[in-house]
Amino acid sequence: MANRPTNVRYTKSHEWVRLEGTTAVVGITDFAVEHLGELVFVDLPAKGKKVGKGETLAEVESVKAVGEVYSPVAGEVVEVNAGLGQDQTPLAKDPFAKGWLAKLKVAAGTKVDDLMDAAAYQKHLDAGGS
Amino acid sequence: MRRTPLYEAHVEAKARLVDFHGWEMPVQYQGIIEETHQVRKRAGIFDLCHMGRLVVTGPDREALVEHVFSSNLGKMKLGKAKYGFLLNEQGFPIDDVIVYRGKDVVHVVINAGNREPDDRWVRERCAAGKFRATIANVSDEQAMIAIQGPASEQTMQPLCSVDLSQVPYYGFAEGTVCGVPTVIARTGYTGEDGFEVFPAKEHGRKVWDGMLGAGKPFQVCPIGLGARDALRLEAGMPLYGNEIDLTINPLEAGLDFGLDLTKDGTVGIPALRAKKAAGLSRRLVSFVAHSGRVPRHGYELYDGARKLGSIASGTASATLGKNIGTGFVPPTHAAVGTRFEMDVRGSRQPVEVVAGPFYKRAR
Repeated sequence: MANRPTNVRYTKSHEWVRLEGTTAVVGITDFAVEHLGELVFVDLPAKGKKVGKGETLAEVESVKAVGEVYSPVAGEVVEVNAGLGQDQTPLAKDPFAKGWLAKLKVAAGTKVDDLMDAAAYQKHLDAGGS
Repeated sequence: MRRTPLYEAHVEAKARLVDFHGWEMPVQYQGIIEETHQVRKRAGIFDLCHMGRLVVTGPDREALVEHVFSSNLGKMKLGKAKYGFLLNEQGFPIDDVIVYRGKDVVHVVINAGNREPDDRWVRERCAAGKFRATIANVSDEQAMIAIQGPASEQTMQPLCSVDLSQVPYYGFAEGTVCGVPTVIARTGYTGEDGFEVFPAKEHGRKVWDGMLGAGKPFQVCPIGLGARDALRLEAGMPLYGNEIDLTINPLEAGLDFGLDLTKDGTVGIPALRAKKAAGLSRRLVSFVAHSGRVPRHGYELYDGARKLGSIASGTASATLGKNIGTGFVPPTHAAVGTRFEMDVRGSRQPVEVVAGPFYKRAR
């Protein structure tokens, strides 16, 4: 089993989210990165953009495909990992830390308990991941 | 899914396998970018066993091929190969093919996805025209392996019974590779020098491994379909289903070099003559995206609110370090330097028409 962080929650569409008070840090999983292949661009949202849960937050381009990143929570974009537009290495090498995509301000009381924990996500992958 | 005689080799090499027209084929081994560089700088080998091959013999073999092939077989020297199309009556390509003119035989290499329609078409035309020719479909009996890149000749020469320096570009000879009898053709679809060989399928693995072994000094490695697609696009070569299909004629795609419009008696040529005389409503252009977004097949092209057409092919070009593509636009927007936009899932990104091909090797 892959060594994935346990302090984040996972979506079926291979995003992760970590709540820090009313800030949600969002990224994509190692599986998503591996599946996309060689990354060439990340299209990040503008600061101030409001996204609903499940709406497109960012798009990740690889040589062979483009992957949409769906926001695991509703919120307003307050910060993006802007360097990824130029250099995607942090996302390719370290998707759960240096490769984070965006930080969202979320409503107080926002919960992510409906999303999967690391063990459940691994089961999801074992079942085909789709 | 169907598997080629080299399937085990791909699994051993830990290739990523995908469904390609019903075939379980390697899309990449090390990575598309790395594999593209390997072919441009040194050489790589390709499993093309899924492609189809027709062998035409008999007294009317050349008359039959002349009848169904858009280029001019009669003007080809013996031992030479040429690119062209199998056209329907309306002048649309059923497939794009490479025809090899031998002394007693004509070989036709066809696309994997068009094996059945091509086979049916050529047989139908043969029967309708009462040509005394025999069409053998050897697709499942032969392997087909390519080596492409500047180190191809150095890799292949020690394995080959023929002097490869005497085989011209788009020429072929009969001989052996690794002791296995085969046609050895100096053809390919990457814009590089290279060879394609057609050993009997039971010897496919032997030839594959022999080529990898002989190529060790040049780090020769297997190349997947992902890099193959990027290489052909960089070199300005069309892909059936993208640049041409049953709705896009070769004139629109700028593939006049695969046509002889002066020919009589060739299916589809009169229709293309008429289309040329009437003028074309769209042209295939090569473009560079001034954007990090990668052009992809099917994205629409716009000039402001006006829809121009759509993208045929696109990739992040490893060789150029740019995002490149081809697309269909009205002739008014086909001149080099013309700027318009591609719609990337709702976001407009600037592109600029450039002179094709994107890449041409120094000779």
